[in-house]
Amino acid sequence: MSENKGLYGIWLAVLGIAIVVGLITAVKLFSQGHGLFNANDVLIWTLPLGVYIYLALASSGLTLLAAIPLVFGVRKYEPFAKRLVFLAIATLVGAFVSIGLELGSVFHMIYIMLSPNFSSPIWWMGAIYSVELAVLLVKFWKMHTGDWHSGFSKFLGTASFILALAAPLMIGSVFGITESRVTYFGPVMSIYCLLMAFLSGTALFILYSLVVNKVTGNGVPAELYDEVALIFTYAAGVVAVFTVLKYAIESATVVPEFLVYRQFEHAFGTVGVFHTEVLLGLFLPFVLLLIRSVRKAAGGKIVASALILIGTLLMHMEILLAGQSHPVGPKAEQFPGFISYFPSIWEILVFVFALAIMLLLYTLGERYLKLTEAPE
Amino acid sequence: MPRYAMVIDLQRCVGCGACSIACRNENNVPEGIYWSNKITETVGTFPNVRYHYIPTLCNHCEYAPCVRGCPTKAMHKLENGITMHDPKKCIGCKYCEFNCPYGVIYFNWEAPHKFWRDKRVEIKDGTASPSELVKEVGGKAVPYYNPERDATLPGIRPKGVVEKCTFCDHRVNLGELPRCVEACPADARIFGDISDPKSDISALLGKFRPFRLREQIGTNPHVFYIRGYNPAAYQPTKGGV
Repeated sequence: MSENKGLYGIWLAVLGIAIVVGLITAVKLFSQGHGLFNANDVLIWTLPLGVYIYLALASSGLTLLAAIPLVFGVRKYEPFAKRLVFLAIATLVGAFVSIGLELGSVFHMIYIMLSPNFSSPIWWMGAIYSVELAVLLVKFWKMHTGDWHSGFSKFLGTASFILALAAPLMIGSVFGITESRVTYFGPVMSIYCLLMAFLSGTALFILYSLVVNKVTGNGVPAELYDEVALIFTYAAGVVAVFTVLKYAIESATVVPEFLVYRQFEHAFGTVGVFHTEVLLGLFLPFVLLLIRSVRKAAGGKIVASALILIGTLLMHMEILLAGQSHPVGPKAEQFPGFISYFPSIWEILVFVFALAIMLLLYTLGERYLKLTEAPE
Repeated sequence: MPRYAMVIDLQRCVGCGACSIACRNENNVPEGIYWSNKITETVGTFPNVRYHYIPTLCNHCEYAPCVRGCPTKAMHKLENGITMHDPKKCIGCKYCEFNCPYGVIYFNWEAPHKFWRDKRVEIKDGTASPSELVKEVGGKAVPYYNPERDATLPGIRPKGVVEKCTFCDHRVNLGELPRCVEACPADARIFGDISDPKSDISALLGKFRPFRLREQIGTNPHVFYIRGYNPAAYQPTKGGV
């Protein structure tokens, strides 16, 4: 017990230090500017934006998973519901930290409300995620106070589900309506983001729950996790098929932009013809999950979900970077034909800050908010 | 209400870059940022090579992706067709820059005109520091600061926001030409109202078949290029045999 207390203290201290460093990073960014990032006028969006997409999508995935008990009434999953909603909130807060530090003039955010542009997918993305956060907070409060099944509480669950469906589609359309970058263009990005959201949200939930179970000895029946692991396997399968199709189309086309794109789409290297992150972060865990004994073992679930969590981040980063690796139009006069990238220490600290805030919320929520309670 | 557009005559353009230098001075453009720029290309194998030079600037597209995508309407269209930017509303999301098919929008990654803020002197007791020089000549941020730019846009855009060509709207409002048009020694730039069939640019667009950059994506850019320059000659043959 005292050993656990000691570890808990160390954990909080580590998070505290990370948050202090994150606050220093925020001050530094808003006083010196985003020249501290290894971004430029060709490679415009880098790690902080990738982290935002990753966490925001994972949050949507958690909300979608929560809809199984809260919207579709599968009551045996109710012991997961409160934790899922809480994780969705905390993960979304982490996403907001990352996007907040990515923006150049966060103090002008008031114009999002005063001067909204309804034709902008960025506006809709911001609006939907803001409303989703508010809805999730109220929903969580309702659940915390024992109101799971009132009309209003159910409405909140349904609303959060619809918002969690819409938000990834909107993130995808931020890229999908970009005429200037054909490799992003089209509805495929929206569908991809929605599938990735569900996959990463499920992975995050399984990994987090099993780690917490190990540490705290939580009493949710193990067979329920086996069922979630099966859903997780299906999700991984769908994303794997979609990814294969995406790469098949990309590698078969002779549209000039794709020919250029193909030169740059190996940010994390390849193993044979496969992208490393896809092979190790999607196909490998999918194959592992197909093996029944691995899927049923806690260790198997942890390894598969951890691989997918890392894989989905790298897959988002690769898509983000590859589409921006070469200059558009006259920018080729000032920049080389290919921009290489490794995040600066400040970008890494933004990532650390977002994660630290998210993990602190997870930790405090787990300790004080009875996340595994369910209605009678 | 006029609809402004520009024609660039590539046969007249000599690629001197006066447009870009004039633009920098007129709009107090910081280093690393190019409201007026160029696309150059060398094609072929020596001795059969050719060189293309295409001056570029914001295309003030009718269906501007930057305007459509801006979440706060910081990037917006004026009635006269100019694509304008309001730094006060800009949240620095850079989506306009990401979304621009022409690579003409830039972001202020740090406080602009870093060189002129430097307090260090090159030779102690011998030369002034850049910041002292700015102070001495009464400039604002740069010694060559143009206060006229302040009329419709902050003369110096702060860090954390984007910036781009405005067709020198502050000059156009006064009935003057954009500075790049004024400065062109070869009169290769023609500016005017495309909705007026009697304007010079309407006449040129009727006379010469223009092209525009990336027309196929449907943005309807309002910078038109006419006449290519190529002095090369070749020996006539019968079918190249």
